[in-house]
Amino acid sequence: MKKLLEYILNRAKELQINMRFDIKGNPSYGEVDVDLGPNEILLIEPGAMSRMSSNLNSSFQRQGGFFSAMFRKMFGGENFFLGKYEHPDGGKLTFAPSIPGHVEHRQLTNNSLNIMAGGFLACTPGVNIKAKFGGLKALFSGEGAFLLEASGSGDLFFNSFGGVVEKEINGEFIVDTGHVVAFDPSLDYKITGMGSFKSTMLSGEGMVMRFSGNGKLYLQTRNVSSIASWLTPRLLG
Amino acid sequence: MNVKIDTEGAFGSALVTLEAGEKFVSEAGAMYRASPNMEISVESRKKKDEGMWGALKSGIKALFAGESFFLSTYTPNDSQAGEVGLAPTHQGEVRSVKVGPEVWICSGGSYLGSSGSVNLDTQYQGLSKGMFSKEGLVFVQASGEGDLLVNGFGRISSVDVSGGITIDNGHLIAFTEGLEYTISKAGGGWISSMMSGEGLVMKFSGQGKVLVQSHDPSRLGGVLGPLLPPREG
Repeated sequence: MKKLLEYILNRAKELQINMRFDIKGNPSYGEVDVDLGPNEILLIEPGAMSRMSSNLNSSFQRQGGFFSAMFRKMFGGENFFLGKYEHPDGGKLTFAPSIPGHVEHRQLTNNSLNIMAGGFLACTPGVNIKAKFGGLKALFSGEGAFLLEASGSGDLFFNSFGGVVEKEINGEFIVDTGHVVAFDPSLDYKITGMGSFKSTMLSGEGMVMRFSGNGKLYLQTRNVSSIASWLTPRLLG
Repeated sequence: MNVKIDTEGAFGSALVTLEAGEKFVSEAGAMYRASPNMEISVESRKKKDEGMWGALKSGIKALFAGESFFLSTYTPNDSQAGEVGLAPTHQGEVRSVKVGPEVWICSGGSYLGSSGSVNLDTQYQGLSKGMFSKEGLVFVQASGEGDLLVNGFGRISSVDVSGGITIDNGHLIAFTEGLEYTISKAGGGWISSMMSGEGLVMKFSGQGKVLVQSHDPSRLGGVLGPLLPPREG
């Protein structure tokens, strides 16, 4: 009986131990060092692995069903397959997003988080990533009409361009389109102008997202399409 | 001589203080500030006993290593100490390492500068390695004794290798002599290697140190490229 109790306690401890990781270099050049335990699995956006112990096995895995993966690729700005890393003895691995910026971690326990298309970086197998239609209003969010929904239990890593500001929303909050990284599903948003038609056009903000409800919102201090349009006239031919 | 990393982090640069008679060498165009007594000149990369042909040959090899044809040299022209500030073209960290205890080999484009007492040589990587790695066909070898400055895109981490480490193509900055690498698939079969998005990686074995950069500039290019207007012509 005592042995059984001990076994259960140990097993519970094992299950509670989360992935050992260390996020370094935030906010400019975030990268994540992971210490994979025996048989622990990590799924990463293809191409994001920057270095690892030579013994780790890399393979690929389709996340979710065929159509779900196809949908995610076509509309979610993500890949059909994810890189899968594991080894019976474990090992070390480091990964980084393609765009220099902040890397965020979120522990999911039977809940979900909405991530803007293209923001997904890595997760443990208990997390499911799927693309979901954000409604017509999402078309104006500056991020495309689809967003990613991460649900389940496990570790989730996502990235941004520039620094990330975490904001606990209670009531209303306004964000410029293109600056949202992720938000809790308990939050709702509307696309609106800034006040009158004149101030919307002249403030340089255009449309904004007006959030309401209770939950967490992750914002990025820069956005990639703005830097691209800033760069464009400065490039030669 | 004192080599100090002046600004750390995302926009790294180095400040080198030279005593009278000391010399520092850098890639052409890396100087962004200098004290008034600093004499700046340009030098070919030839070794001592080589002539014009050697200069041409070393220069062309350096171009293959993603470096400049000529080197800039800095020496104080009086009995005073002088200083020179060096910065790479792109954003990212600058790291200073000691040459002497180890011979360092820098991948294409990551060499920034070194003490006058460090010998620079180019090292051809072989056709198969050179063609498939994103690090350039030719590497820069720094031997002798002194300081070496390298630059990277993003953060630079130093990794001690004993056993083996796999580094993704596009993340290598420099490694110490004694380490060997092969270009190979990331693991498993060829198909899983390609599908996991890593394709080819560099597998290091032996004993030594590797400097790696956190980000791969060609992946940033892959994201930014489609957002920029197409090239004309």
